[in-house]
Amino acid sequence: MKDNQLNSGISLNNVSHSFGELSVLENLNLTVKPGEFVVLVGPSGCGKTTLLNILSGYLKPRSGSVKRAGIIRTVYQHDGLFPWLTVNENISMGLRFIENKAQQENELRELIELIHLQGFENHYPHQLSGGMRQRVELARVIGGDSDILLMDEPFSALDYQTRLRMRQELVRLLEKRPRTVVFVTHDIEEAVQLADRVLVLSDRPTHISRELQINSARPRNPTDDEVIEATKAILYEFGLEVTEKDKKKHILDQ
Amino acid sequence: MSKTDQQLQSSTPNSLKKHTDIKGIISPFIVLFSMLILWWFVCTFNIFPSYALPSPEDVLKSFKEEIVAGRLVNDIIASLWRVVIGFFLSAGLAIPVGLWLGQHAASRRAFLPMLNFFRFLSPLAWIPFAILWFHIGDKPAIFLIFMAAFFPLVLAVMSAVATIPTIYFRVAHDYNYKGFALITKVTFPAVLPQIITALRVIYGIAWVVIVAAEMVGCQDGLGYGIWEARNGLRLDSAVCYMIVIGLIGMGIDRILIQFTKLPNVRWGYER
Amino acid sequence: MKLTKTTFFLGIALFIIVLGVLRFKPWNNLTSMATKDVIHQGPNGLAHHELAIGFLPVTCHLTCPVTDFASKTTHSNTNFDSRLFTDFPTVASALEAKQIQATFMIAPLAMKLREQGVPVKICYLGHRDGSEIIVGKNSSIRSLADLKGKKLALPSLFSNQNFVIHKLMQDYGMKPNDITFVILPPPDMPTSLASGAIDAYFVGEPFCAKAELDGYGRVLYYARDIWPNFISCVLVVHEDLIKSNPEVVRDLVRGIAQSGLWAETHRAEAAKLVAPYYRQNEKVLNYVLTSNPERVKYVNLSATDEDFQQIEDMGLKLGYLKKRTPMSELLDRSFEPKDLTPAAITTAEITDHNKHNR
Repeated sequence: MKDNQLNSGISLNNVSHSFGELSVLENLNLTVKPGEFVVLVGPSGCGKTTLLNILSGYLKPRSGSVKRAGIIRTVYQHDGLFPWLTVNENISMGLRFIENKAQQENELRELIELIHLQGFENHYPHQLSGGMRQRVELARVIGGDSDILLMDEPFSALDYQTRLRMRQELVRLLEKRPRTVVFVTHDIEEAVQLADRVLVLSDRPTHISRELQINSARPRNPTDDEVIEATKAILYEFGLEVTEKDKKKHILDQ
Repeated sequence: MSKTDQQLQSSTPNSLKKHTDIKGIISPFIVLFSMLILWWFVCTFNIFPSYALPSPEDVLKSFKEEIVAGRLVNDIIASLWRVVIGFFLSAGLAIPVGLWLGQHAASRRAFLPMLNFFRFLSPLAWIPFAILWFHIGDKPAIFLIFMAAFFPLVLAVMSAVATIPTIYFRVAHDYNYKGFALITKVTFPAVLPQIITALRVIYGIAWVVIVAAEMVGCQDGLGYGIWEARNGLRLDSAVCYMIVIGLIGMGIDRILIQFTKLPNVRWGYER
Repeated sequence: MKLTKTTFFLGIALFIIVLGVLRFKPWNNLTSMATKDVIHQGPNGLAHHELAIGFLPVTCHLTCPVTDFASKTTHSNTNFDSRLFTDFPTVASALEAKQIQATFMIAPLAMKLREQGVPVKICYLGHRDGSEIIVGKNSSIRSLADLKGKKLALPSLFSNQNFVIHKLMQDYGMKPNDITFVILPPPDMPTSLASGAIDAYFVGEPFCAKAELDGYGRVLYYARDIWPNFISCVLVVHEDLIKSNPEVVRDLVRGIAQSGLWAETHRAEAAKLVAPYYRQNEKVLNYVLTSNPERVKYVNLSATDEDFQQIEDMGLKLGYLKKRTPMSELLDRSFEPKDLTPAAITTAEITDHNKHNR
């Protein structure tokens, strides 16, 4: 078990980015503490993916500074697995730098067991269901010496029930192998069910419009009080909350 | 868990589905057989004069003649050798060049017009130079095959690389694949299914070109066999060579199809 | 999975190796056929040299395979290997590259090569006559004048046929563009005539006999009607060979001359002998050689100054040749034998040889 995630973390300082004339991010400040689970929620097209690319180092921001400590890996919405590699080979990508072969084998077996895919080691991604594929992705990012996980709407391509199950699965995995997580989603329920801290992103150019701390322990139900409270707050932030006044108006209209 | 297992099971029969019905196996033979009958019919009833279309019997006779004389086997080996060498030479050069050009947009833009220019230049246009530079024998034919195969293959590999989803490169970045490892572990396998398809097309071109290429500057080979049969006013033997060319072409394509059955490229054909 | 991949690539490597071995037959240990100085134990055990000679399957080059055959069955110091080509540009290229150092080719092409600086010499002739103008069997064409406005096929611009037809047109007072000339590969000429794509063609044998035998063509003119002792093809030898191995060239010219003398009087046997070399139907060859002895002649094969002066004049006049080459530079008659006896070929040997080839 690793615990070096404790000295890992990311911070963005006054980061701005634009594609040509289009300003995508504006003066963004964000510090993710070691071991923290931060969820960024925002409408689609709000620059979440750009933000993740900047966090992962794939993109360099126009201005501002990014500080990273630790190894960063990303889970994508779908197709993040290499289709030409088997489940075993995909997961082994993250274990490449373990010198000891036996140790590498052990780690691989452990990860496969962790995601309950025994028997599918030699299957190729296209032979698996969407949920299984995302589980392999989770095993891949968590394996080896990763410190920080970036998740780009990892469950949004799955059906609702699988999505719920995957959230539980993620919580379970992180319990066994704690990591610092930055999770991007447009699913408010998902955000509040998983996060230590939810950051609500505004429309383009993106900035953080609200910050919410959720302290109750995981795993949580979507129906837990604190989860519902937080959901309300975010809906309000997006202007999507239906007020008592709206409800009355609706009845009157009928 | 049980839910996902069910999903898996429902998805596997697709890839395991086999055409086991007898009709599917037999129908190609019926078509071929009726073509033979039609040919025989046309010859027997002299619909075409015999100098314009040799009869199946004559062709069969010349088949026997060519095999006994050992010329046919020698010609087959000569042609196969030229095609195989030309094919591997062009594949060995075109794939790396295509991979490199695919990843460098600037050089791709620079080289694209040149590649297209040569792609549209029929390899047969090179015949005078092939003979001038390589005289006669295997070399000019191999050169012509190379000219025919190289440019379309570079273009195919290049555009395949250019359309690799960026997500793979992002993942590769996360897992520290750089430089040569990036090309061999990510870029190449990502385009391998398309490369195999392109190779099949290229092989088809090569096999067509060899026949024309061997009509000049060669002393043996299947194309030479046809040319010689023509010079010898022996259309029956020309037809016999045509049949051999078609059969071998098909046979090698069957072998190339086996490439698509490699487990790490199946994904490219199952979408 | 690893296993399938490995076996796959091993299989490919094995395929290439097997193919290469079959291609180059290392067990044969035979070096290139074109080498000149191989001390070669010919089948008769007496030959000290071996030489490859290029030829095309036309009756003009008939003496080449006959010489090949004779060098293997009779006493000879040099073993000759006739090497079948299918077109003249390839022959020219092989000669330029010295992949062969002696070959038969159409006379004006040899002159053109000389003009372009390829050091070749004309040492002997292939045969005399042996070319015809063929027209459709039922066509109304009775003389050259009837060909006005018609399509006539020629084998090459650098063929003597092309030169000669222009001479004939002059004699008839016709203008050069009175006849439409098309260049066609000789094998395509009979079928083109049959299908009506051309009205006539002028080419060497056996492509004329083919149309006659298949029943859709007839002879309008024999070459001798237009140009007595017409020369179509010549024996060309690279100067390097003449310098380095004059005895081999002497053997060659003697062999060709003796073969010609033999073929002149053993026409049916000659047809039988060369059919497998030509990969042609013996019937057509037999017809060419025996139907009319005036059709082709294998005597009087010395390359005279007058003959080639005439060809050169015509070529210059027509613009196919650019500069005058002195006859002393073009021709080399020094190898022609003084005493000539027909090649000692027996019918039994031919039958035996053909059995092996079939």
